[in-house]
Amino acid sequence: MGKRKSLIKIKPKKYKTGEIVKVSFMVMHPMDTGMRKNKKTGKIVPAHYINEVKFMFNGKVFTTMKTWESLSTNPVFTVNFKVPGKGKITVSYTDNTGESQEKSKKIKPKG
Amino acid sequence: MQRRSFLRGLGLVAVASTVSTPTMLLAAPKGPNELNIDLAVKAITGAKAVVKSEKVHMKAPEIAENGAVVPVTVTVDSPMTDDDYIKAIHIFATKNSNVRCADVMLTPMNGIAMFATRVKLGKSQEIMALVETSKGEFLSTSQSVKVTIGGCG
Repeated sequence: MGKRKSLIKIKPKKYKTGEIVKVSFMVMHPMDTGMRKNKKTGKIVPAHYINEVKFMFNGKVFTTMKTWESLSTNPVFTVNFKVPGKGKITVSYTDNTGESQEKSKKIKPKG
Repeated sequence: MQRRSFLRGLGLVAVASTVSTPTMLLAAPKGPNELNIDLAVKAITGAKAVVKSEKVHMKAPEIAENGAVVPVTVTVDSPMTDDDYIKAIHIFATKNSNVRCADVMLTPMNGIAMFATRVKLGKSQEIMALVETSKGEFLSTSQSVKVTIGGCG
């Protein structure tokens, strides 16, 4: 499997140190439940879903999530984060087939 | 001779498989994914009391046209300081085949206890949020969502 498209969004776009921002992580993932049938072949599509998501700031984990197949296709995970200063937000995920990936975004508070 | 023994072996295997599969199915332990809503909540709380609280706010549409993508936001009123913060937010879809959607472990670094995601709903049902505070209390809230087109399968 190639690299999946993912994205980290921070809202609002301009923020200061100490302010609380929203961090969302989106990933293009099928999130198959293991109950759906492929209409062409008639075979059941095996379960393939994200197990674990970790939000890190400069290597320190601030939110961990355990997830199951009940989340939608191409899921979005949004949490709040209090900006302590300059740094890098990294989000990593693992799915039930052992596939894992990371995405990071620099944080530059103004003032 | 070889062929005869081979065939006998095959027969034995067939008998063994027919006998063993049903018993194995019965004996297979139910994982946390196959529990119903009451058992799933119990597995998390450890039989502690769950209080319905107005501190927990859930935002979800009352009528979802498409069950495949239902946005859910859970916010909890909490100071989020080092000694008083929200430890975890659990989201359940009470009538999906797997009731557990997500367990989110928060830390004081979050600032506000909020979690938003999109879930799949098979049919009209209640979405439930179970919140664990750092003091060991369990708070909950729920909201029913009407689904016109199911999202699973």
